This record gives sequence, structure tokens and C-alpha cells, in this order.
Amino acid sequence: MTPTTTRAADGVRPPGGTTPGKATPGARPAPAAGRRQGRRETLAGYLFLTPWCVGILLLTLGPMLVSLYLAFTDYNLFDSPRWIGFKNFQDLFADDRWWTSVQVTLKYVLIGTPLKLAAALAVALLLVKPRKGQGFYRSAFYAPSLIGASVSIGVVWRAIFNDNAIVDKSMSLFGWDVGGWIGDPDWALPTLVTLTVWQFGAPMVIFLAGLKQVPSELYEAAEMDGAGRWRRFRSITLPMISPVLFFNLLLELIHSFQVFTSAVVIAGSGTNTGGPGDSLLVYGWYLYEQGFRNLRMGYAAAMAWMLMLGIGLVTAVLFKTQRGWVHYEEDAR
Amino acid sequence: MGAGRWTARARGVRAVAAVVAALGLLATGCGGGSGSGDGKVTIRYSWWGAKDRAELIQKTVKLFEKEHPNIKVKTDFSEYTDFWSKFNTQAAGGNAPDVFQNSYAFLRKYGDKNLLLDLNGQADAGNLSLKGFRDGLEKAGDIDGKLLGVPVGANTFAFFYNPDAFQKAGVTVKDGWTWDDFFAAAKKVRKSDGTLYGASDNANVMYLYDLYLRQHGKAFFTKDDKLGFTKDDLTEWWGRWQQHAKADELVPGKKSEQAKPKASISADLSASEFTWDNFLVRFAAETKTTLDLGPIPTTDGKRTAQYLSSLMLSGSARTQHPKEVAQFIDFMTHDPEVGKIMGYNRGIPATTAQYDAYRPQGVDAKIAAYEKSVSAKLEPITPHPAGADVAEAAFLRIYTQVALGQSSMGKAVDQFFSEAESALGS
Repeated sequence: MTPTTTRAADGVRPPGGTTPGKATPGARPAPAAGRRQGRRETLAGYLFLTPWCVGILLLTLGPMLVSLYLAFTDYNLFDSPRWIGFKNFQDLFADDRWWTSVQVTLKYVLIGTPLKLAAALAVALLLVKPRKGQGFYRSAFYAPSLIGASVSIGVVWRAIFNDNAIVDKSMSLFGWDVGGWIGDPDWALPTLVTLTVWQFGAPMVIFLAGLKQVPSELYEAAEMDGAGRWRRFRSITLPMISPVLFFNLLLELIHSFQVFTSAVVIAGSGTNTGGPGDSLLVYGWYLYEQGFRNLRMGYAAAMAWMLMLGIGLVTAVLFKTQRGWVHYEEDAR
Repeated sequence: MGAGRWTARARGVRAVAAVVAALGLLATGCGGGSGSGDGKVTIRYSWWGAKDRAELIQKTVKLFEKEHPNIKVKTDFSEYTDFWSKFNTQAAGGNAPDVFQNSYAFLRKYGDKNLLLDLNGQADAGNLSLKGFRDGLEKAGDIDGKLLGVPVGANTFAFFYNPDAFQKAGVTVKDGWTWDDFFAAAKKVRKSDGTLYGASDNANVMYLYDLYLRQHGKAFFTKDDKLGFTKDDLTEWWGRWQQHAKADELVPGKKSEQAKPKASISADLSASEFTWDNFLVRFAAETKTTLDLGPIPTTDGKRTAQYLSSLMLSGSARTQHPKEVAQFIDFMTHDPEVGKIMGYNRGIPATTAQYDAYRPQGVDAKIAAYEKSVSAKLEPITPHPAGADVAEAAFLRIYTQVALGQSSMGKAVDQFFSEAESALGS
């Protein structure tokens, strides 16, 4: 690397990072010229940063602030927003359907996430040891999460679990006659959960990386001490990959709370309700319905901030508890 | 070293140039409007429906573009409920389609928000003819003196039934039959055929309840935009259907949910159903069972309280091309060729020119005969306030929960009133 490229890279750093002048003093012939050049490069850096800065201001921070403001207004998308204080939040707590959406989402998160992580870990354990066709299997299991949020998978799921479709027919052979799973208020949500569990590819890849980091000496030593498979898994694998597990858990929880596309597509987007008897009315869907169908954008904004609070709370609790079960290598030292 | 300084400066200059170029691209990307230099005007036309309608509409648009070479029409469609979500988003951004499919239930909702073009001005200017509409339909889009929509097709409610099942049960459907006759017929059909229920549970269909209320001198909505019935009225209506559902005469809630997106009657679960008469086109494609159209049951043996509703075309109040929009609507409603192509896909054509041009065959002929049989009895439509669509969705959903056994009658009625009143109040 030439000194020029090093400095150019430094210049791209966001404010607060090392200043180019300090970074490589030896490489500069004269301090004054260096400073001038440094300033120019800083300027270039900022210029390169501009699209990103404009992006975060206009597309992330701006909308968030507007949404926070709208949460305290009555806004129907067409007339200008009217300040109503905390009324949207009060209405939320009195809204039966809001509570339904909270319940449906919690069920989805609390059942779906552990199952998904268990499936991801189980398959990762199978695929971590070198074997024939390993690459193929890894890609095959990963594929479903690549096409994860797509509408097409929802459509396929709907076709599979519909009345008189393949699942219904094959289950009937064994005397288990549900009928159309998607139309049955008791089975619609489990259908949605199976879809998320099936898409375990992304956490699986992360688990694979984590499993590869576990030193094989530990297993060898344990085996010599006569530890069985289960014992080795519990006492070595789990603690060693607990940071990865923590990361996956956090990511999947946050992701699950925001479920939308699959629920809407499975229940049929042309319907006016959240699936049979609102059994698929996930939080994101109700928010969307209030905002864009019922034209209650202020209410929807309040819902969004409640969701953010909820996710924040869950994340905070997880971080608090991680001391108890997540083991980082530094702790061992 | 001098070379190094030179490259650094060049890099800085290039960076600036790149950013400027990027911003420039953005600016032109946003500014690209519809009015292009060659004098051609582009209008956006969006509508709801499915693939069958899409093919027909493409044909009519091609025809229009051929006759008006200076106008280009961009089309866009989605399913009914998705259509309105998309429309709301576009309209809120000031980017509503220039011309779009609309229906009676939405005229006031969007008219109140000044989103719809008042077509009276264009009619006066001679760009749109309001003559030749059937049964006074040209007034259908008139809201408080403003012409907010022009009907392309009209339909009315009908009783759909499976004539074979009814014959087997020894029941005849006749003019002036009562609700008691209807429920008795459903019971008989259920008794005579183990595989069919007598009727679909249509207690959640707002338009049917509206007819029932009108037969009693009330209506679903009052003129001052409120609900036109009491909690007791609704408990009586829903309760009556529930009583027959519990007696196993009507399709159970769970089964009809599982049959979706098919209707219970086209899924061959039930022998009768109430819905808009142009649905016969759809049902004929979904089931092999032959279906007939019969009269709506009455309260007094005479009055069915039916009215014509219609699909319309409306223009956006913010369109840059009101003249072209009016010309397009005029063509779509009056041109006989368009009538031939569309058939009864959007209901019976609203103008005599299109009505006469199309010779109904098969199921379309049945719909035509049905509308002829009720035309003398039709009454004016009840006004739909803003929020009517939300009230309709709540009506459907909340009774479905009763039918699924998830909600008690008392709770359901209370919930409907609270949701509907807040929707109508806003």
C-alpha cells in the first residue's frame, strides 16, 4: 500500500475517527503541505459520504421524526394532521383488535423463534462435519431464507395448505382431517409459524460459523474423560456458541416482531380481515390496515412506536440476562 | 511526491464531479413528467379486478388509443382491497391516477377530501356526453351537485340458487316469497341432500342487510351519515341467521372460511347465496353446477327494496389533463365496441349504446333476464357516507367471528357499533 492510498482511506472515515494528519506522520514531507492536502482529502471523504448522509437524514431520521410527530396527531393522509396529544395511545389500549394483533404477534414470536433456532442449530450440527456433498446441502438449506420475504413463497405456502391441497389430502389419509389449514382459525397461525421455521437458513449459516470456532481439543479432552454426545453438546458446544446463539436470538426476535408479508399473502391479500377470525392479524398487518386502508395514519404511527418500544424492551431484557448464560472468551481468562 | 499530490487533487475533483453528476441524475429522474415534447399526452388509468378483466381492458384501451392517437393510456390494476391501499398511498402523495375505477361506496369518502374531478365542467365543454344512460344512471355519480363519477356498468342484488337441489327438495323460488319461506327452503334443501347446506350464511353481507332494513322502512346509513338501525335491530338480524346456522341448515363459519377465495355456493357447499348479480360470471367459471338467479325474499310479499349500484370511472382532481380524462371516460362508457368487448364483466353496460351493442350469451343472458325482471321494482340507492367501506369490512369480519364461535352476539354487536361509529365519525 502506498502512503497516498492509506491517507485516502483515512479521509473516508466518519467524523470522530483518526485525523489523517496524525495517522501517518512519517509519511509526510512537510507538515504544512500535509495539512492542506489532508483537508482536501477530508473534503473528498465528506463528499463521498454525502449520499449516505443524505440517505440517513432524508430516508431514516427524517421519516422517524415525522412518524413520532404523527403519532400524536389525527392524520388521514389528505387533510393536515391535527394535534390530539396522547389520544391515539389511549385508543390503542381500548382497541380489541389491537390487543388481538399483539396476542397473535406474541404467539408467532414465542413459538416461531425458538423452533426456528432449534432447527437451524440442529441442521448446522449435521452439516458442520466435512462430508460428501456438504456444499450442496448447505446451499439447499440456506435457499429458503434467501427468498424469505418474497410474496411467491407465501403464495406457494397458501397453495400447499389450502383446502383440498397436498397437506390437507395427505393428512386425511392418516385420519387427521383439518380441511383448509389457512381457513381454520386454529391452524392458520401454525401454518405461518411453519413457514418461518422452514426459513432457518440465515441463523444456520451463523451457527455453522460459530460451531467451527469451537476448539476440537475440548471435545477430545471430554471424550477422553468419557463424556457422551449429549454431555459434550451441553457442556462444550452450547456454552462455546452462546454468543452466536445470543446474536441469532436477538436478530430473529426483532425480525419476527416485524412479520408482515407472509401473513398477508397467506391469508389472501384480497380479503378485508386478518385471516379467519383475525387469527393471522399480526401487528404489522393491523398497522398497515389502519394506516393505508382506514386512513388513520396517526394511529398507525402510534402503533409503530409502541412496537418499537416493545422490541426495545425485549432487547433490553435479553441484554440484561445475557450475563447469566452467554459466555465470552474473555470471561474464561 | 508531486505526482502524488496531483493524483490526490485529481481524485478530489473527480469526487466532486461524481457527486454533482449523481445529484443531477436524481433531479432529472424526479422531474421527468408525463407531458413529452411530441404533443402526446399520457394518462394513467387504474382499476381493480383480475386477469380476465385485464385482458378485456387492454383491448378497450388499444381501441381508444387508435381513435385518439394523441393520448397514451398507461394501465395498472390490483385486487379490490389492495387497490384502495395503493390508491390511498398514491393520492396522499399527490400522485393519484388520472382516471380510475370507482364505486358508489367511495364517492363521498374521496369527494369530501376533494380528490375527485367534478366532471360537470367537462360535460359542459362537450368532452363527455351524459346522454343515453339507462334507467337514469347518469345521476349515479352526482354527489351534492358535483359529478364525481360516470357509471360504466350497473348491477343489483340477487338470490343465487342451485335449481336441481331446490327441485329435489320440492321448493320453488317465486316472486314475493318471504324471509320465512327462504329459511324454510334452506331447511328443506339441507334435509333432502346430505352433502349440501341450504344456504350460505350471508348475515355478514352489508348490502343484504341494507335491503332487509329498507323493506322495514329503514336503511343501513341515514342521510346524515349515521347508522340507520339500532343494536336490537342488528341482534335480531344476526340472531336469526345464527339460529339457522346452529340448526345445521347454513354453511358453518369454518367451512366457508376454508373454501375461500371461492364463495360457499361456488365451492358446492351450499345451494343458495345472496350477492351482486354479475357474480354469476365468476361463479360459472368456478363451479360446474348450474346456478339460477331468483328474487330477493320480502317482508310484506311485495317490496324487495332493491336498487342499482354501479362501477364508475372517476377522474383525479389533480390531473394535468382533465380534457383527455373526460374523453377517455366518454369513450369507455359510450363506444359500442367497448360494450361488445367488456360484456357484463363490470355489470350490465350503463349506456344504451353499449347495452344494445352486446348480445348476451350463456350466463350473461341470465343476468340480463334477471335485471329485466326486477327493473320495474328498483328504488333509489341509499347514500353511502365517507367511512362506509370501513363499516362494511367491520360488519363482515365481526359476524364471521360470531359464526366461528369466537365472539358472543352481545359483544359482537357492541363491537360493530363502536367500530362503525368511529369510522363514520372521522
